[in-house]
Amino acid sequence: MAPAGTAHRHRLPAYVGVWLALVLIVGIEVQVTYARLPARLLLPVLLGLAVIEALLALLYFMHLRYERPLVFWSVISTLLFVLLMMNQFWADARRLLALHR
Amino acid sequence: MSDPELFLPRDAAAPAVGPTAPVSHVAHVAVEASPLGLPSRNLAIWLFITADAATFGAILFGYGYLRVGSPTWSRPFAFVPTILNAVIMTVILLTSSLTMLAATRAAEAGRREATVRRLGATVLLGLAFAGLHLREWFAMIAEGWRPGTNPLGGPPIFGATFFSITGLHLLHVVGGVVALVVIALGVRSGRFGAGHVETTGLYWHFVDLVWMFVFPLVYLMNAR
Repeated sequence: MAPAGTAHRHRLPAYVGVWLALVLIVGIEVQVTYARLPARLLLPVLLGLAVIEALLALLYFMHLRYERPLVFWSVISTLLFVLLMMNQFWADARRLLALHR
Repeated sequence: MSDPELFLPRDAAAPAVGPTAPVSHVAHVAVEASPLGLPSRNLAIWLFITADAATFGAILFGYGYLRVGSPTWSRPFAFVPTILNAVIMTVILLTSSLTMLAATRAAEAGRREATVRRLGATVLLGLAFAGLHLREWFAMIAEGWRPGTNPLGGPPIFGATFFSITGLHLLHVVGGVVALVVIALGVRSGRFGAGHVETTGLYWHFVDLVWMFVFPLVYLMNAR
């Protein structure tokens, strides 16, 4: 991230470049979906592509790249912690699956 | 930091003109700069975005929990019309972020008419997204999908997860469109400035960002 106080506005063509990258990722997502990968492989691939999209939107469209590092760490680390803690439920989902079989 | 005056009490930022100018009792109060270097309204919208992202995270985790735990989960979405429709909706929403950025830049340059025009374009794209979404909903409802009914015979909870996740997102889009109209009218009348456009833009980009997860997880993972 750039130090606070630096100019943090791109010209519109730069934003169009990010937009094109996002549209391209959407195309890759659809392509990957119809490659008929097993669900356990498709999910991490699609999630990884979605995270790349989200980072591009956060850093460029929402200008987080140009805010002070403290903004990034206070906002994103809090959210990541919450999302990380939600992963504890997967073990129970697998238990549920075993009950149905 | 387009609104440095926001760090000051409103009275302190107002210029005193002429001998009859009102004397503000807060004009001489020293105000510390924000430690985060953000105008207060941007900090507020970032706090809202963090909380709202956790809400969407929870609802998507809930959907994932049910999907992983159901061996007979339905995959009802054909490429035409559903996936193609969702791709078009995604491109529309991404494009609306671009027009929103253009509106923010125009507002920062003090170009009021261009700001209103670009906000109007963002509103139209938001309405197009909502229209396509509702068309898809009505088509599914006509096929027999309900929050508690699965016409394919799979888990009935599929409809509940689909309508609640996409419905919550649609609610955010509609709320954003209303906010954009209010801001556009305020910019046209001179009541709102670049800071207001920027803050609304942060919200609008967040709505776009959430869809980046809804589209692959709810649509592509359920493609036939």
